[in-house]
Amino acid sequence: MAPVTLRKLVKRYGALDVVHGIDLEVKDREFIALVGPSGCGKSTTLRMIAGLEDVSGGAIEIGGRKVNDLPPRARNISMVFQSYALYPHMTVAENMGFSLKIAGRSADEIKTRVEDAATILDLGHLLERRPSQLSGGQRQRVAMGRAIVRQPDVFLFDEPLSNLDAKLRTQVRTEIKKLHARMQATMIYVTHDQVEAMTLSDRIVIMRDGHIEQVGTPEEVFQRPATKFVAGFIGSPPMNMDEAIVDQGQLVFATGIRLPIPPRFVGAVRAGQKVTFGLRPDDIYPSGHGLHAGDAAAVHEINLPVTITEPLGNETLVFIQFNGRDWVSRMLNPRPLRSGESVPMSFDLSRVHLFDIETGKALGA
Amino acid sequence: MKLKKLSAPVLLLLPAFVVLTAVIVLPLVFSFYSSFTPFRLTKPESLWIFVGLRNYVAVLSNWDFWIAFGRTVVLLTIALNTEMLLGLGLALLVNKATQGQRLLRTVMMFPMMFSPVLVGFQFKFMFNDNIGFVNNALQSLGVTDRAIPWLIDGNLALVSIIIAEVWSSTAVFAILILAGLLAMPKDPVEAAHVDGCTPWQTFRYVTWPYLMPFAFIAMTIRSLDVARAYDIVKIMTDGGPAKRTELLWTLIGRTAYADARMGMANAMAYVAILLSIVFTVYFFRKLAAARQQIGAEW
Ligand SMILES: Nc1ncnc2c1ncn2[C@@H]1O[C@H](COP(=O)(O)OP(=O)(O)OP(=O)(O)O)[C@@H](O)[C@H]1O
Ligand SMILES: [Mg+2]
Repeated sequence: MAPVTLRKLVKRYGALDVVHGIDLEVKDREFIALVGPSGCGKSTTLRMIAGLEDVSGGAIEIGGRKVNDLPPRARNISMVFQSYALYPHMTVAENMGFSLKIAGRSADEIKTRVEDAATILDLGHLLERRPSQLSGGQRQRVAMGRAIVRQPDVFLFDEPLSNLDAKLRTQVRTEIKKLHARMQATMIYVTHDQVEAMTLSDRIVIMRDGHIEQVGTPEEVFQRPATKFVAGFIGSPPMNMDEAIVDQGQLVFATGIRLPIPPRFVGAVRAGQKVTFGLRPDDIYPSGHGLHAGDAAAVHEINLPVTITEPLGNETLVFIQFNGRDWVSRMLNPRPLRSGESVPMSFDLSRVHLFDIETGKALGA
Repeated sequence: MKLKKLSAPVLLLLPAFVVLTAVIVLPLVFSFYSSFTPFRLTKPESLWIFVGLRNYVAVLSNWDFWIAFGRTVVLLTIALNTEMLLGLGLALLVNKATQGQRLLRTVMMFPMMFSPVLVGFQFKFMFNDNIGFVNNALQSLGVTDRAIPWLIDGNLALVSIIIAEVWSSTAVFAILILAGLLAMPKDPVEAAHVDGCTPWQTFRYVTWPYLMPFAFIAMTIRSLDVARAYDIVKIMTDGGPAKRTELLWTLIGRTAYADARMGMANAMAYVAILLSIVFTVYFFRKLAAARQQIGAEW
């Protein structure tokens, strides 16, 4: 049993605060992804959990035990580093068995466990090689093998796939998912790739500037982003956003475009309030080419000029001019569109997000 | 006329060849030749008497020579191992320093900046049994109440020389090992911590394999240095007392200049060079193996 709990966790480098007192409860056997832009403190947080960085304030508990002052070796964790961090002077088998050797396990047991891990990761034929004789993807799998051989309570991953090419990344991602199902261990996974975060995790933690913006399941953070930042960070292409003013039950944009306020926001906004309006590309489409069956009453149609199109095969991203900006929409069963052509666009207003312009917090229920 | 026929590359390389021949090849050939003669500086005509391997036979059956040879190997072994341990410790400490590391690195190199002759004089003074600093300090601290005959007792004299050697050259190890520490990636060390290593285990299994090539480079340099040790010994003890600190090169120097038996000295020198070659080959093998171990790309 190894839940991981962070309480008011702070990291300070001199006068510079990089993690500002974050709280997080990771349940036993949960797969949690930490995402956020570069420099937001993901690695720092992970390294504090691993014991590789001192904690400046607050507490870390693993399995209900406060570990702030325990060295990494006393925490029963495994970590997969972004750079793999293999031991260059050891063979693949020695790399994977090293932690067991240190723990004083018998040669037989080490051999069995290394071979088991090698089978899972398809490394059997590479066991006698040195890391310098392996490809990036193979090194990555060795790093993973080294982590699983230990059978730790908690796995920590720091962007383990960032050095792999797109195809290998998808492949190893699947491996990690299988691994989680098999190992039944708590996993904390740092990435700045939201696809990895969405596909792998039970819950996602979105960080920004050393704060947690939102914690939730992939569906929650996608469908109910708590802040404007989360809304812009999760989803690809990102959510279309622009400022609007509330006026007589309508949202008025700078160029005078007016859209009705969806019913669920009616009590949540007041006249004259400035808000950020957000709508995902999936929820804007050339009429008749939508993703959702949709609630016909909520669909609002506007004629807008097409700027460019990006055909992706089964769908096309259509860039349209809305309120002086390029907005992205997603067109299913695409038909050819010309640049400059004016197209009736359907806005599914039941899926609108509104955010307070000052705080960036989501409005409405 | 004839010069014109030489091609440009030959022409361009010619000066280098001429200089090298004049300053290296000729003296080498000459000294090698003289090792087959009973050449004495005082009797120039003896240079032309060829005696074949007589000098070499004399050297190899000369007990004094073998004792000096053995003593040099002992000195080399003790000095190098001590320097390596101290240098390693020093490098690890300096590497830990978060502030003033540059200053420490510079200070660490000070001993290397003194001429070995001066180091010899300084230690000769410090180890003087009457007025020396060492005995003075030991007596003031109450460690001993008599004057320890540092440079007068045969064994102690060798110890004193080793101390002087170590003092002046530990920096070679420290600098090279520190370079290794600075160049070393941090991740494997962190991985070792996570894998359950204590600080000692981390050093033993991860850090040390990285540093080994650097230690062997220092070993190679220093083994050549110590194998030709002359100046410090010459100044501190001049091979005494009663030849108890006679090393290869003090013996060779004495034979060549004091006894003026140049031919014999040259024969000794050529045998002595074998020692250097053996050590160099040995450490280079070790170095290559250690480099291969860590998959070094240099
Ligand atoms: N040793 C250090 N001294 C001072 N500041 C540091 C140090 N290490 C990290 N930082 C700062 O802490 C912040 C968080 O760094 P961290 O490595 O955790 O970011 P990250 O979220 O992992 O980013 P990335 O996605 O680029 O890996 C950054 O602003 C960084 O500049
Ligand atoms: Mg990072």
